[in-house]
Amino acid sequence: MVLEIKKPRPLWEIIFSTHHTDIGLLYIITSISFLMMGGALALAIRAELFLPGQQIIPDPNTFHRFFTVHGTTMLFLWAIPFASGVGNYLIPILVRYKDMAWPKLNAVAFWMIPPAAAMVWIGFADMGWTAYPPYSTLRAPGPSAELWIFGLKILGLSSVLGAINFIVTMLKCKHPDLPIMKMSLFAWSILAISFMILVAIPTFAAALIMMYTDRLGVTGFFNPAMGGDPIAYQHLFWFTFHPEVYIFLLPAVGMLYEMIPKFSRKPIFSYQSGVIAFLLLSTIGFASWAHHMLATGMSFTEKTVFMVGTLAAVPASAMHVFNWIATMWGGRIKFATPMLFGIGGIMLFFASGAGGVVNTALPLDFITHDSYWVVGHFHLILMGTVSLTFTGFIYYLFPLITGRMYNEKLGKIHFVAAFIGVIVVFMTQHVLGLMGMPRRYFDYIPLPEWIAMNQIATTGAWLVGLSYLLMLYNLLKSSAKGVAAKMNDPFSIGEQYYDYRRRQPHH
Amino acid sequence: MAGHAMYEWVYIAAVVGILIWVGASSWDVERIIEEVPAEAETIKVIGQQWFWSFEHADGTKEINELHVEQNKPYRFEITSMDVNHNFNVPDAVILMDAVPGRINTLWNLFSETGEFLIQCREYCGFSHYNMKAKLFVEPAVTPVAAEPTSTPITTPNATVVPTQQEEQQQEESAIQPSGNATSPAAGGGGGGVTLTILEGSSIQGSPDYDPDALTVKKGDKINVDNVDTMPHTVTNGESGSDPNSGKLFDTSIINGGASAEIDTSTVDAGTHPYYCMVHPYMTGSLTVE
Repeated sequence: MVLEIKKPRPLWEIIFSTHHTDIGLLYIITSISFLMMGGALALAIRAELFLPGQQIIPDPNTFHRFFTVHGTTMLFLWAIPFASGVGNYLIPILVRYKDMAWPKLNAVAFWMIPPAAAMVWIGFADMGWTAYPPYSTLRAPGPSAELWIFGLKILGLSSVLGAINFIVTMLKCKHPDLPIMKMSLFAWSILAISFMILVAIPTFAAALIMMYTDRLGVTGFFNPAMGGDPIAYQHLFWFTFHPEVYIFLLPAVGMLYEMIPKFSRKPIFSYQSGVIAFLLLSTIGFASWAHHMLATGMSFTEKTVFMVGTLAAVPASAMHVFNWIATMWGGRIKFATPMLFGIGGIMLFFASGAGGVVNTALPLDFITHDSYWVVGHFHLILMGTVSLTFTGFIYYLFPLITGRMYNEKLGKIHFVAAFIGVIVVFMTQHVLGLMGMPRRYFDYIPLPEWIAMNQIATTGAWLVGLSYLLMLYNLLKSSAKGVAAKMNDPFSIGEQYYDYRRRQPHH
Repeated sequence: MAGHAMYEWVYIAAVVGILIWVGASSWDVERIIEEVPAEAETIKVIGQQWFWSFEHADGTKEINELHVEQNKPYRFEITSMDVNHNFNVPDAVILMDAVPGRINTLWNLFSETGEFLIQCREYCGFSHYNMKAKLFVEPAVTPVAAEPTSTPITTPNATVVPTQQEEQQQEESAIQPSGNATSPAAGGGGGGVTLTILEGSSIQGSPDYDPDALTVKKGDKINVDNVDTMPHTVTNGESGSDPNSGKLFDTSIINGGASAEIDTSTVDAGTHPYYCMVHPYMTGSLTVE
């Protein structure tokens, strides 16, 4: 096995292992595969929008299926599993325990992902990843919608099991000599999101069941003709998925806390403010869900409450940004690939955060809502901040996973191309949104400005796509033929790296 | 370290200050925007897969076209008949979800005349991208100074309404006489052919045009009966992006239960595909011999 430089093992031993690094590896490989698959869908969507009219996707239904599966894949099969994978790899190391609390449960949680992913991809539903009724309950064609519902149900269960395992590992199995206020901030981020998962996911799980029985026609929770209300679904949905945004974001924040101090060769500026900001974000994150629904006809009071709830989450995010910048300030920074991705992520975090403040300011929301502005905004956070930081962390963990070094030059080229590409695509989409182009459009009015903006965005998207192909090449080639890494300090920064001996499975 | 913490506090205070300013001014602007003027006239907006219908305060109905007057406040009551839509006029910052079972309201005053785009901004299925309508803002018809007899509020209404009613009458008259004309023709053996739009056609995958492939002799008149509850069209072409769409024949919107007529004397011989502009997956073909 190429991934094991010190002690090669047959593939099946890794696949059926319950050791935390092996499960972590499976999570990471699965999530990177889905990043590539979801990315391919995104590139097809962008190619379709390069010009108005029908281009490469044969009909609107197929286009709708593409953006639905793209969204579902990127959120639930890339962002969440990748964070779980890194958590699996590092949490037992960081809390100094031999493994996760329940290794078999850990394996079960991972092995729920492939069948659920198969259901999402075989079904290829067309409801949008938000699956708003009444479209999803009355009009969306089956069985793709049913497959999507059950796929998401299984993915939700998988995250809940993973979250329970993380919480118990950190709170019960932590080494007695390690006080919780000395635990790594990455561990804190996983602890925070695990609690958020436990609180948030059951609501959506309930909504999925209601959606399913509505589709069967036996209930009418979301059907006005049977006394239900479509908006009720949106509340249940966003009660889960606004906190979910922080569930995507916080692991990236934690990874930045791992990388920034090491590559800056300085201790974290303020550990306490990092912990406080995690706790603030994970609680205030529950007070802002309906800002996704400001245009559903809410009363002025409701809108005000959710605007205030949304703005209240900003200072905590700003504390993280301050902490990173203050940590880097005056440090002898080594701009290796992981650090570059981290800094890029911080810059785009600031940009998307400022865009978020614009979104929630009530009168402005009615300009940006459901337009390409929104698409640009949430991609800037999910691609720009979360995915770029995750990508940096792939490079950062590469020596620990493989015992080899990746090609630094290709890594830097990847960063430059991906960073420029992300800015070109998503900043352009902000402008396109302000020009009034709605999201989820298969075809658009051939206005010269809209065409130009779409073409710029498509070019940027293809640049990002190519840069990720380069990463794939770099990772595959280096894991087979890369130079052996110095395991105590692979990046030559004079800081301690993770203990490679942890890669030896004990069972 | 105390000095360092000081920087952080100053920074957080600045961030919180900016946020309070943003929040307070948004609240204030929104509070003013939401206050509907008492004299605003109500227009009902109904979204359906995939067209917009409008009903004015005087009962005038329009489909996919909305005529309003400049500088007059309107209050929109927005709802939907099937799935969620979003009534959006980007140029006027009108944006509100159309949700079945709910009536959402917002108001606007159009200060510029012209033709504007109405689009759907909430994903609603197959033709979401094509669910467009036109907004015509027309100059207010100022009552002539010499005739101030009627009250100033009713006068603009009285002058606008006839034009809209006329339009509708014209539409109706275009349909009705032709409908009357075909029946005798059919009775007299003049080659009248009927194309039926079946009930439930608007649902994708259901049987739509009956017969799907229609063959007529050049010069025949085709009577199109819409027995569905939704409006449909019979428009030549493969789809809306076909450059020749609607050039050979086009019934334009036929309301549920109404009928229209296609005269084939101007249609070239050959096979022509046709579709429904409202539901583009409804397709059929017409062969003229």
